[in-house]
Amino acid sequence: MKFKFLAFGLSGIIILVGILNFTVGKGINYGVDFTGGTLIRLMFKHPVEISELRNSLGNIGLGASKIQEMGKGHREYIIRTAQVIEGELEQEIEAHEIIGNRVVEALKGEDEKSAAEQGLRDLNSLDKGELTAALQDMFSDQAAEMADKIVSFRVNKGIIEDYTQIQDLGISREAVEHLKEKTYLSRLTVLSKETVGPQIGHDLRRRATQATVWALIGMLIYIGIRFKFGFGISAVITLAHDVLVTITIFAISGREMNLPVIAAILTIVGYSLNDTIVIFDRVRDNIKTLRKHTFQEVLDSSINQTLSRTVITSGTTLLTVLALFLFGGEVISDFAFTMIIGVVVGTYSSIYQSCSWLYFWKKIFKPKKGFGR
Amino acid sequence: MKKGLRWKIILVVLVILLALFLAYPPGEKINLGLDLEGGMHLVFQVVTDDAINTETDQEIIRLQDQLKRKNIEYEKITKGEIGKFSIQKINPDQEGQIKNLLDDYFKEWNYSVIGDTFSLSMRANVAQYLRDQSVNQAKETIQNRVDEFGVAEPVIQRQGLGGERLIVELPGVENPERVMNIIKTTAILQWKLVNAGPAPDRETLLKDFGGEVPEDMEVLRGDPKRTEGGYYLVSRVAPITGQDLRAARQSTDEWNSPAVGFTLKTEGGRRFEKFTSENLGKPLSIILDGRVQSVATIEDVIPAATGGIIRGKFTYEDVEDLVLILKAGSLPATIKTLENRTIGPSLGADSIRKGLSSIAIALILVLVFMVFYYRLSGFNAIAALLLNIIILMGALSYFKATLTLPGIAGIILTIGMAVDANVLVFERIREELSLGKSVWSSIATGFSRAFRTILDANVTTIVAAVFLFQFGTGPIRGFAVTLIIGITASMFTAVFVSHLIFDIILSKRKKREKLSI
Repeated sequence: MKFKFLAFGLSGIIILVGILNFTVGKGINYGVDFTGGTLIRLMFKHPVEISELRNSLGNIGLGASKIQEMGKGHREYIIRTAQVIEGELEQEIEAHEIIGNRVVEALKGEDEKSAAEQGLRDLNSLDKGELTAALQDMFSDQAAEMADKIVSFRVNKGIIEDYTQIQDLGISREAVEHLKEKTYLSRLTVLSKETVGPQIGHDLRRRATQATVWALIGMLIYIGIRFKFGFGISAVITLAHDVLVTITIFAISGREMNLPVIAAILTIVGYSLNDTIVIFDRVRDNIKTLRKHTFQEVLDSSINQTLSRTVITSGTTLLTVLALFLFGGEVISDFAFTMIIGVVVGTYSSIYQSCSWLYFWKKIFKPKKGFGR
Repeated sequence: MKKGLRWKIILVVLVILLALFLAYPPGEKINLGLDLEGGMHLVFQVVTDDAINTETDQEIIRLQDQLKRKNIEYEKITKGEIGKFSIQKINPDQEGQIKNLLDDYFKEWNYSVIGDTFSLSMRANVAQYLRDQSVNQAKETIQNRVDEFGVAEPVIQRQGLGGERLIVELPGVENPERVMNIIKTTAILQWKLVNAGPAPDRETLLKDFGGEVPEDMEVLRGDPKRTEGGYYLVSRVAPITGQDLRAARQSTDEWNSPAVGFTLKTEGGRRFEKFTSENLGKPLSIILDGRVQSVATIEDVIPAATGGIIRGKFTYEDVEDLVLILKAGSLPATIKTLENRTIGPSLGADSIRKGLSSIAIALILVLVFMVFYYRLSGFNAIAALLLNIIILMGALSYFKATLTLPGIAGIILTIGMAVDANVLVFERIREELSLGKSVWSSIATGFSRAFRTILDANVTTIVAAVFLFQFGTGPIRGFAVTLIIGITASMFTAVFVSHLIFDIILSKRKKREKLSI
């Protein structure tokens, strides 16, 4: 409680930075889920420099696309095509899809185009049925089994780099030669392609805001029932603070705001309240037992009594989210990042902010019941 | 051992067995989401205006027919906005007659008269019904097509109540572009007489018609994939449509190129027979979704039972897909793609690997921490945690919930948050012990006093997760579900089971002065 003004000051500054960032700064970097667009994850056979990709895309007039490397080894990339054409929505999403295809074509290069024109097919994109069919004419009995082996190898590795890899799977030399006649190995494979139309994005923004606001109201009602109204308001102010600070820090980090990030923010709402409630629960108990003490003393001792618990729980949660952030892979990393910020902010605010709001509530409204002396 | 204790142990063992039975083997019992298994997540908008337009067109034809029969004069009928049309320049003396006709036979339409023009608009409830129907029909048609194509366990649902959007989820699809084509083709098939064409542009096409399209004809383009392209002038009325088809099958034409063979229903067959006999020597086009596929001259009368073939520059795959689409029926309206997320199987496999190792690492970290901080009691918390995960898996498979990548994140988060209940209890017990109470009573008060806090704290997280479930689609829902189940289960494991473990340990010991916490 001693540090309440310091804490308010710090949070105030962060939120102010957030507001400035929204109004005059760059604001939030919305991902395709919100803006619409195409996101392509690619894996190359051999390491490729990011500058080479940029050149290839520049050649077809898509130099503005964002290219981001995934993991290490210069083999996996995420490409987000720049926004295209304003106009009718229908055209827009079709355009997105076409551009997505052009990106892949451009990166594949001329050699593959001619291979495809000769009637060869990319072994890295044949499905199990097609592969079986390709092997059927010479290896009728084993065709299905071979196709199975090849496909599961491909699923495991992401891309087949070389025909010798297939031979290493225990597939006969003749079969490999047969495949070589019918197929080629593309230099890249598409791991995923996500195209989102602008309508979906609009909807999402509205629904995300609604969900967050309704969750806050839900919390207010629940605490209002279980505690006194002043507790509910204090808790919700603390939560709103958490959401704002988390979003601000997230925005400054420059990461893209996508669906999982919204999920993380909503989880933070629930999580941070958790800490606050434990403290408020103590306050409620202490008001009854520590009758001789002032309200401020009650608040202080409540915070202190629950401090070790607050720190430990946040600690274990932080450990797990950290594990997710470090080992969970690129796809989930934005979510984990947001959770890390949220857990830290939520813990800080439960300790330094929640009780201060309670204190002000009592000072300003002077409720007669439930707040002790 | 006390009797109560024994029953509690039996209960816990039963719960463990049940959960294991439900979740084992996890590879088969746990339903993986598209982001882990690979597949397509599609959102379509059904353009329900199309259904209204089709209905309006049919009603106009019906009205023209009636007006002709009653010898009512008018200059023309023009379509206005969606669900609206007007009869223009009527004979004022026949106004009453028209009103009677509309009142008797066109109850689905509101009308008003201004001067010599009747304006008709479709009643709102009728339009709403048509829109609703078209979405349902679209859903059914897509379902049929996807089933025919052989996608395992597709999910096709309307988004929201009365929504015009369809969510289509197709796990394990290996050939996304082909599937997309199969779903999106409207598949309105028509046979129409060709009056002119193909011509390279409209002007050349309409040269013999004074540059204007005659009222009973329309201009269509050739499908660039199947013909040389260009423009065709065809009759507006189609004597035969896809609705007259009895069956479609893969076939070949006389040059052995792939083609679609079809037979017609009795009624349609008779109509086709009559039509071909009346139009011998004229070119007949086959039109799919407003694009001319092929044109052939009617050389013979085609008897009702024979049927025929649809020719075009088809590949075997094209024919296979077209037959499938024709069998499944046409869409009542065009559909627009709003969202198309295609995840390859190897990305999912990678996510599973990384997700599982994150879970393992998170578990180990928490375990080390708890044992370091709470000594032997830490193992109690870990036992509770492991049981929690087993129950979570059992519940996931029982509710047939889908495990997604965010769902895995939910499990990891549950690991961190579920120990919270243990921490709350252990901290209380420590406090009680430091006040000098006995081990036995410290544990009892510790659990009873911490329970209310645990309940309050967990309910709020669950409330947030419920809102999340409401808000999210696929993957996010998976997260909300694991979080809700995990936290609910933690109330059982961290409170009931942990308490039980303490009880068992203490009941075996003679001396009860010390507790490793």
